[in-house]
Amino acid sequence: MKERFKKILAVSLAGAMAAGVLAGCGGSGGTASSSAADTNTSASSASSGSSQTSGAVKEVSVWHYFEHEAQALEKVAEDYNSSQDKIHITCTYVSREELMKQYTIGAVSGELPDIGMVDSPDMASYISLGVFEDIDDQLQEWGELDKFYAGPLSSCMDSEGKLHGLPNNSNCLALLCNMDILNAAGVDTPPTTWDEFYEVCKKTTDAANSVYGFAMSAIGNEEGTFQYIPWLYSTGADVTTLDSEGAAKSLDFLGQLVSEGLMSKEVVNWGQGDALNAFAAGKAAMVESGTWQIAQFDSGDVELNCKYKYALLPKDKENASVIGGENFGVCAGTEAKDECVDFLKYMMTAQNNADWCETAGKLPVRSDAAELKDFWTADERYAVFNEAMNSAVARGPHESWPTISEAIYTAEQAALLGEKSGTDAMAEAVAVVNPILEEVPIAAVK
Amino acid sequence: MSIAAKKRLEGYGFIAPGFLYVLLVLGYPLVYNIILSFKNVDVKTFASGTSKFVGFANYIELFHDPTFLLVLKNTFVFTIACLAIQFTLGFLLALLFSQKFTFAGPIRGLVLVAYMMPMSVTAMLGKNMFGVTEGVINDLLMKIGLINAPVEWLVSSSTAMIAVIAVNCWVGIPFNMLLLTSGLTGISQDVYESASLDGANKFQRFFYITLPLMKSSILAVLMLGFIYTFKAFDLMFIMTSGGPLNSTDVLGTYAYTLSFTKYEFSQGSAAALVLFCCLFVIGLFYLRLTTKEDD
Repeated sequence: MKERFKKILAVSLAGAMAAGVLAGCGGSGGTASSSAADTNTSASSASSGSSQTSGAVKEVSVWHYFEHEAQALEKVAEDYNSSQDKIHITCTYVSREELMKQYTIGAVSGELPDIGMVDSPDMASYISLGVFEDIDDQLQEWGELDKFYAGPLSSCMDSEGKLHGLPNNSNCLALLCNMDILNAAGVDTPPTTWDEFYEVCKKTTDAANSVYGFAMSAIGNEEGTFQYIPWLYSTGADVTTLDSEGAAKSLDFLGQLVSEGLMSKEVVNWGQGDALNAFAAGKAAMVESGTWQIAQFDSGDVELNCKYKYALLPKDKENASVIGGENFGVCAGTEAKDECVDFLKYMMTAQNNADWCETAGKLPVRSDAAELKDFWTADERYAVFNEAMNSAVARGPHESWPTISEAIYTAEQAALLGEKSGTDAMAEAVAVVNPILEEVPIAAVK
Repeated sequence: MSIAAKKRLEGYGFIAPGFLYVLLVLGYPLVYNIILSFKNVDVKTFASGTSKFVGFANYIELFHDPTFLLVLKNTFVFTIACLAIQFTLGFLLALLFSQKFTFAGPIRGLVLVAYMMPMSVTAMLGKNMFGVTEGVINDLLMKIGLINAPVEWLVSSSTAMIAVIAVNCWVGIPFNMLLLTSGLTGISQDVYESASLDGANKFQRFFYITLPLMKSSILAVLMLGFIYTFKAFDLMFIMTSGGPLNSTDVLGTYAYTLSFTKYEFSQGSAAALVLFCCLFVIGLFYLRLTTKEDD
């Protein structure tokens, strides 16, 4: 009896060790066989389409992580499909996390869609990993590139300036104010400077009812960096000057909000959705909000039971915001490269970009698209974002952006949690970021 | 062919499928991983194919990186704390449920629910329960007067680990209880009976009968527990993402971040291999202990 028990345990121990090995290996890029298998079915079903070149119709698979915007994207694809009879586009939703992992694995295994969507700051890394094809020649022939805004377009370039895709939409950040709370505190208009902002935070914080003056996302991932960038740039500092006085000042300012109880410490665990939820629940008088969130109010996904108003983020020395958005790239190894480029051009004509961005509640990436409709100026909420776009900066583009970003949000978290002063926190970030930038500088695009 | 040779061939035939399976599923990734950890594959060298062997550079860099040392410390703190708590409480529960009382069976079944839950669900629950203002844990602690102000569980780098350990123990206790119960039922009641006839009291019976007879299952439970806990990933990944400020980052999550977020594939492999080596040593240790016992 005892013997058998031991044997059973020995076997399960061996099994557990095996699991341990696999878990360990899961960490390496090329050997994540188990996770690759998870998505194998969808991958092969999607990409097998492109190899079916029989007949005249060429199948092109598009992977994206749009959720409430998915229908609008499907419509673009359907219109394209019915406009010609040579290429058939199939859009597949893959969750963002899974899609990003799939690109990394696909870089090794070659299991990639024909066209893939990617968050703009990540594009440079994936280009460097060989996930996206160089389609610069085809796009230059197109002759419409000068209509694209430089910032979003630059995020599709490799370090030599060659395009590997096209930007699809832009967004940026602005200040969203609960005017009921502000008015009750005797404030009539949203703050415009850091001093005013600080005063409004103080007036609107109501500790007894756990209402904070301000909420943002300072979570330990790209979202945290995204929301911090405007505060950094507003002081006149930037990613290349993290050792400047301004950079330290921006951290100390946000840290002060937390230490004085004007912003919840929990922001270090909040994504942008969490921060917005706190605002919607009346637990924060102001929040750092993104363009895409307007569509969530209008669709009823997020209910705002208050009078609200958008304004530019308050400024220290200069106005600043940050560009977000998605790009579409043609994946390496596709058998339908020309067809993919053709669809990208179709999707990104001025008219289509304008239509799609209006439906999905996003900012267009082409100046001539923005001129086609008054959507972005007539609605005063979008108008604020349109204005913020003038001072919005891009993240990178840099192939090591994820490492730079980690250094930035780690510094921010240390300052917000009161573990380090702004200067000390930034000193650690500089130790990581500066050597990277010395080796490969950020391509200067304005 | 002689009968002996035939028999030997037959034997190889039987182990061949298992051997091939291990070679393919474990051997290949492991070797690939080891090779990767001695090269400099990252976002720059990945596609261009300019990666080269760099010897122990990745390991040297890792062990000079304060974050990695913190991660290593976290992994051991997490593992040892979890083991101590879940083994002690699991053993006590196993002893409790080995008594015959009304509803012993159903209650034991209920305790097991925690173990049957997927870790991702447990982690989500833990994240909500340890919330600062809305969390039920703070609410309970305040109501019974243990604390005056809410504890910043997952927000503060000094308390986040405690919360993660607590959630892991919630799963680990029933796991320990289950294995120890099966060990307990293997001990014949006759031994206890004759011991009490000889005048052994409850403590003597526990320390001189139960513990020695349970030695092999206790060892197995501790080893299995160590391995399961040491390679923790999903719990931290969902509950804290390793934060705040790496305070709950363990080897599993750290290796993932290196490879899949920062594309430092070689360093990620090196970190994963450190994890593997730690478990391998524990495994060898266990094998030696059990084979010694057999002699």
